Amino acid sequence: MSAHIPPSFYKYRASIVFALAGILIALAPLPSPITTPTERHFRVEARSFEYNPAVLRANPGDRVTIELIPMDVVHGIYIDGYNLEFHADPGQTGELTFIANRPGIYRFRCSVTCGALHPFMIGKLQVGPNSLLWRGAGLATLAALAGAWRLRR
Amino acid sequence: MNAERLARLFVVGLLLGLPLAILIARWFPPGSAAGQTIEMHARMAESGGWTPSDLTAEVREPLHFRLTSDDVVHGFAIGQSDWPAVDVNPGEVTEATIAFEKPGKYVFYCTRWCGPGHWRMRGVIEVSGETAVEQDAEQPLYAVLGIDIDAPHPAAFTPIQRPSARRGASLGIPITKMYQDPEYLHRRSPAETWSVMRAETFTQGLSDDQVWDMVALAWQNSTSPAALALGQQLYTQNCAACHGEAGSGEGVMAASITPEAQLTAESGHDHKPPANFTDPKMMLGASPALLQGKIIRGGMGSGMPYWGPIFTEEQTWALVDYLWTFQFDY
Repeated sequence: MSAHIPPSFYKYRASIVFALAGILIALAPLPSPITTPTERHFRVEARSFEYNPAVLRANPGDRVTIELIPMDVVHGIYIDGYNLEFHADPGQTGELTFIANRPGIYRFRCSVTCGALHPFMIGKLQVGPNSLLWRGAGLATLAALAGAWRLRR
Repeated sequence: MNAERLARLFVVGLLLGLPLAILIARWFPPGSAAGQTIEMHARMAESGGWTPSDLTAEVREPLHFRLTSDDVVHGFAIGQSDWPAVDVNPGEVTEATIAFEKPGKYVFYCTRWCGPGHWRMRGVIEVSGETAVEQDAEQPLYAVLGIDIDAPHPAAFTPIQRPSARRGASLGIPITKMYQDPEYLHRRSPAETWSVMRAETFTQGLSDDQVWDMVALAWQNSTSPAALALGQQLYTQNCAACHGEAGSGEGVMAASITPEAQLTAESGHDHKPPANFTDPKMMLGASPALLQGKIIRGGMGSGMPYWGPIFTEEQTWALVDYLWTFQFDY
């Protein structure tokens, strides 16, 4: 059996191991934590040009209600990826309820022109764990290990 | 040869005729026949408000508005008219055509909260016509009664628990005719009405709070669900930003009416927070006519805008009716 393996295999053995580990880190399905969907209620104060809180966290399947309270002018929320939009006037709290059925990280942006820095009025909706970050960190560590391995040789 | 002369004549005619036609056309502006076109820019009150803000028009002359915003979302509406409000968005032109049937002074105003100075965004359209300007002989009730709007009006009597019209109705005591007359109720504060009702024979077996329930019932009878719905709509659109959605005077804009903000905006006047409609001492001492006066005139040292030229009489009373829901359970 070993006779059929070309000698170059042994030469590139470490590289192949690192490559396989990289593919594993990048693509392996994570054991998703089993969570029972719950109600999540966020009270978001909108002010030129920020949301408070600006990061909303939910688990996939949660029923999310966003209450939007504009503090100065008309503000709105447009959630990328979910394709949802609503806006509210000061004094008239706006509300949006949806099922967070798409895991991932989505930006939400102000949907009503609210002043000069309106394009920079953004927030983040995080549905489920931030696997992209952990996979990225894993790949970076692997790359560092591979570099160290190469230097030692 | 003849054809060449004709061609020369044509060229000369064109060169002379075209500028002449343009000059003649300027003598007859399109506005004179088909109304005027008004290019109007909306800016936040701090940076200029409406441009132009003073307009003149003839009766039944169509005004073609081309509205656009230079900064944020604004709205455009004309006070005391059924004409629906339109949104004025930056980077877009909203077109609207309006003609006035009666001569007079019309106030147009911004309908979307566009900043702390939102309510300052107002302008005037003066409409003239053959018929003389109709003077509204009828003065608002507060002016007829000569009520001093700025005087403090603490209630002499206040209930222990929140009065409820339903509890009042369940007492099964019919309200006498006097308390069914809106004219009577509009002139008296709930506290005054309570003290009059307390002395009546039909309330002899009742506790003080039960008499308050009867007052709430009388107040409920003087309004209608349609008026309350209209009042609520006007309240959320125009008042809730300062007075709060719950009427407690803690709206999102209340923080911007700080002494410092007032000092920079105006001269160093006394600063007062927006009125708290859930305070029984203040509210139950006010008559509906007094509240009507406050809405119409504004002021009160809190930067409250005047709504006289914007709300119709029906709208003002609906708003007053709605304010009592912060005191009474209907």
